[in-house]
Amino acid sequence: MMTTLAKLKNGAQAVVKDIHGGHRIRSRLNHLGVHPGDTVEVIRSGYLGGPVLILMHGAQVGIGRGMAERIEIETENEEK
Amino acid sequence: MIRIALIGQPNCGKSSLFNSVAGYKAMVGNFPGTSQGCVSSRVSVNGETFELVDLPGIYSLSSPEPEQLLSRQYLISHKPDAVINIVDASVLSRSLELTLELLELQIPLVVCLNMMDEASRKGIQVDVAHLSLDLGVPVVPTIATRGQGVEELFRVALEIATSGATGRKLVMSSDVESVVSELTAQFPDGTARDFGVSSRLLALKLLEQDEEFEKGLRKSQPDLLPDVQRLRDQLATHHGRPADVVISSERHSQAVNLFEHVATVKPRLKKSRREQVDKYLLHPWLGYVFLGAILFAFFSLVFGFGKYLEIPLLSWLQRLNAVLTTALGPHALAGTLLHGLLQGFSGGIGIVLPYLIPFLLGLALLEDIGYLPRAAFLMDSIMHRLGLHGKSIIPFVLGYGCNVPSIMGVKTMERQRDRFITAILVTFIPCAARTTIIFALVGFYLGPAYALSLYLINLIVIAAVGSLMSWLMPEVSPGMIIEMPTYKLPSVGAIAKKMWFRLREFAVIAWPLLIAGSLVLSLLDYFHLSGRINGILSPFTSGVLGLPAAVGITLIFGILRKELTVIMLVQALGTSNFSAAMTAEQMMVFTIFSLFYVPCLATLGMLRSVLGYRGMLFALIFNTAVGSVIALLYRLGNVLIRLLT
Repeated sequence: MMTTLAKLKNGAQAVVKDIHGGHRIRSRLNHLGVHPGDTVEVIRSGYLGGPVLILMHGAQVGIGRGMAERIEIETENEEK
Repeated sequence: MIRIALIGQPNCGKSSLFNSVAGYKAMVGNFPGTSQGCVSSRVSVNGETFELVDLPGIYSLSSPEPEQLLSRQYLISHKPDAVINIVDASVLSRSLELTLELLELQIPLVVCLNMMDEASRKGIQVDVAHLSLDLGVPVVPTIATRGQGVEELFRVALEIATSGATGRKLVMSSDVESVVSELTAQFPDGTARDFGVSSRLLALKLLEQDEEFEKGLRKSQPDLLPDVQRLRDQLATHHGRPADVVISSERHSQAVNLFEHVATVKPRLKKSRREQVDKYLLHPWLGYVFLGAILFAFFSLVFGFGKYLEIPLLSWLQRLNAVLTTALGPHALAGTLLHGLLQGFSGGIGIVLPYLIPFLLGLALLEDIGYLPRAAFLMDSIMHRLGLHGKSIIPFVLGYGCNVPSIMGVKTMERQRDRFITAILVTFIPCAARTTIIFALVGFYLGPAYALSLYLINLIVIAAVGSLMSWLMPEVSPGMIIEMPTYKLPSVGAIAKKMWFRLREFAVIAWPLLIAGSLVLSLLDYFHLSGRINGILSPFTSGVLGLPAAVGITLIFGILRKELTVIMLVQALGTSNFSAAMTAEQMMVFTIFSLFYVPCLATLGMLRSVLGYRGMLFALIFNTAVGSVIALLYRLGNVLIRLLT
C-alpha cells in the first residue's frame, strides 16, 4: 500500500519509494541515509503536527512533518 | 610542517579527537554541527610535531550549507598532507558514503573508525583489516573520548602524509561509468585542474547537480553545460529517476555493500536501556512533562546553588571592602580606586560565578548526554508556529548560557531567513549575565515568583516578535531534519574541560572588563562626571522609564557586559541594598529594560559575523525599541492596577 511517511504508526516498517521535492530536499534526506529502496522504521510519530522519528541504517533521524509528507513509502499489505 | 586535516560527518567525534590531542580548543557537544569554521592547532604526538586542522562536519562533499562547503573548499584548495576521515562506526554504512567521496578526491587518506564502543553496543562488529583492504587506505579503530587508539591513528596518519599514498576508487555500475567517461572526454585540457579535482570527480559532481561546481563551469566553460544537461537527462530516462538520485543511490548501495562485506550485525531481541529511555523522554505527552521537569530542575539548580553561595560570598567581600577603603581613606584617590577595583572583582566572584558555575555544569551535562536534539524534536511543532523549526531550539537553549555561542549555532540552519529570525530572537533570551541581573536584583529582593514572571514575560515577547517576524518574512519552511544521536554517558573530564572553556571566556574576557569598567566608574564618580552622563540620559531613564537618574550610567556599562548593569548599580546607587534605593516597580522596569535593550558588545560582534553589518544595526535599534516598549507597558500596567484597586 502506498502512503507517506507522515501517515505511518509507531513501530511500522516500510520501504521508501520516492522523495517528492527539489534537488536540495532530496540531497538533504540522502545525506542522512534516506534513499529510495531502503527500509524505514518509524520509532515515534509525533502528535499535533509534530515530527517523525525514524530508524534507518542504525541511526535515528527526526524529520519534520512537512518533510515526512513528501516521503512516499510502500508498506507490506498487513491485515487490517 | 606536516598538516593533517580532520574530516567527518557531523557528530562523529571529530572535535573530541581534536581536543584529546590539541587541548580544549574546539567546542564539542552531543549534537550535530558543533564545530563552525576551522580550528587549527600545533600538536605533538609521540614526539612528532604537526599542524592539526579541525574542519566543520559534512555529510557529503556537496551539501547546500555554506559551512559545509568550507570544509570541501579547504580539502580542495589547501591540500593538507594527510586527511583523517573520522567515521562513526555505529552508523558505518551511512558514514562510508562520505569516505567513498573522499577517495574520489585522491588525497592521502586514513580512516579513523571511531566510537567502536558504541558500535559494539549496537551489536556491530567490524572487520578492520577487511575494510582497509576494500578501501585501499589504512583503517584505525579508536574510542576518541577515552583516547583509545589515538596515538596509533596519528602514527599512521604521519606515515601516510610522508608517503602520500591514496586509496582506491570504487567503480560504479557500467552505464553510470560510461556517462561519466563520455562527459570527461568533453572537458578541454586543464578544466578539472582549475577546479582542483580529478576529471572524474568533476563529472560526477556536475551530473549530481552540485551548485558550486555548476556555477564554476558556467563561468569557465559555459559551452559544456548543454552536454552536462543532456547526459543528466540520459541517466534520468535510463533509470526513471533524476540523475542526482541515480548517483547518490549508486554511492549509497556501494556503501551498503561495503558495510555488509566488512561488518556483522548481531540482531538484538531487546532494545538497549539507552533506547528505552526515549520511550519516556520522547513520549507524546510525558516527553513534555520531562522536558518541563528537566528545565525546571536546571533552573532550580542554578537558582538554589547560586543563592547559597552568593550571600556569604558577598557579605564577606563587602566587609573586606569596608576595612580596606577605610584604611586608605574613602575620599582619597587611592581609596576610590581600590574601592572600584574590589567592587569589580567581587562583582565577578560574588555575583556572576555562583550562578555561572552551576549553569555551565547543567548545560554541559544536557549537551553531552544528547538531550538537546530530543528537545528540538519535541519543540518542532511549537517552533513551527513561530515560523521556525525544531533546530532553532538548540540556539535558544544555548542562549540561556550565552548568546554568543548560540548565535554561532544559528549557522546550522540552512536558510538566511531562518538564521536571521532565530539570531534576533536569541538576543532576547536572558543569557547567564542577564540571569544574574534577574536573580541578583529581582529574585533576591522581590522573590522567585517575580523572577519567574520575568521569564514568562520574556517568552511571551519572544513568541510575539517571532510570529511578527515570520509574518513579515513568510516562507514555507521545508521542515526539520535532525540526527538523533544515541545517549552517551558524559565523561567527567569532558564536562570539566567544557566548563573551564566557557568559564575561561568569562574570566579572561569579561572579568577584566568588569574590573576596568568598575574602576572607570569610580573615577567618573571621583571627578563627579557620572552625574553629567546621567543628566544627558535622564529624559529617557527618568522620564520614560521612571528610574532613578543615577542608573543611566549603569545602562551604558551594560552594553559592555550585561552583568555590569547590576554590578555598577552598587556604585551608582551608593549601596548594595537595592531595596533602599529603588522601589519594586523600578527594579522590575530596570530589569525588563536590561533584558531586552542593546545586546552586549560580544553578541553584537557575533551578529555582525552571522548576519552582516545591517543585521547588527537592526538588532541594536530594534532591541532597544522593544525594551523601551515592554518596560513602558509594564509601568502602564502597574498604573492601571493601582487605579483599579
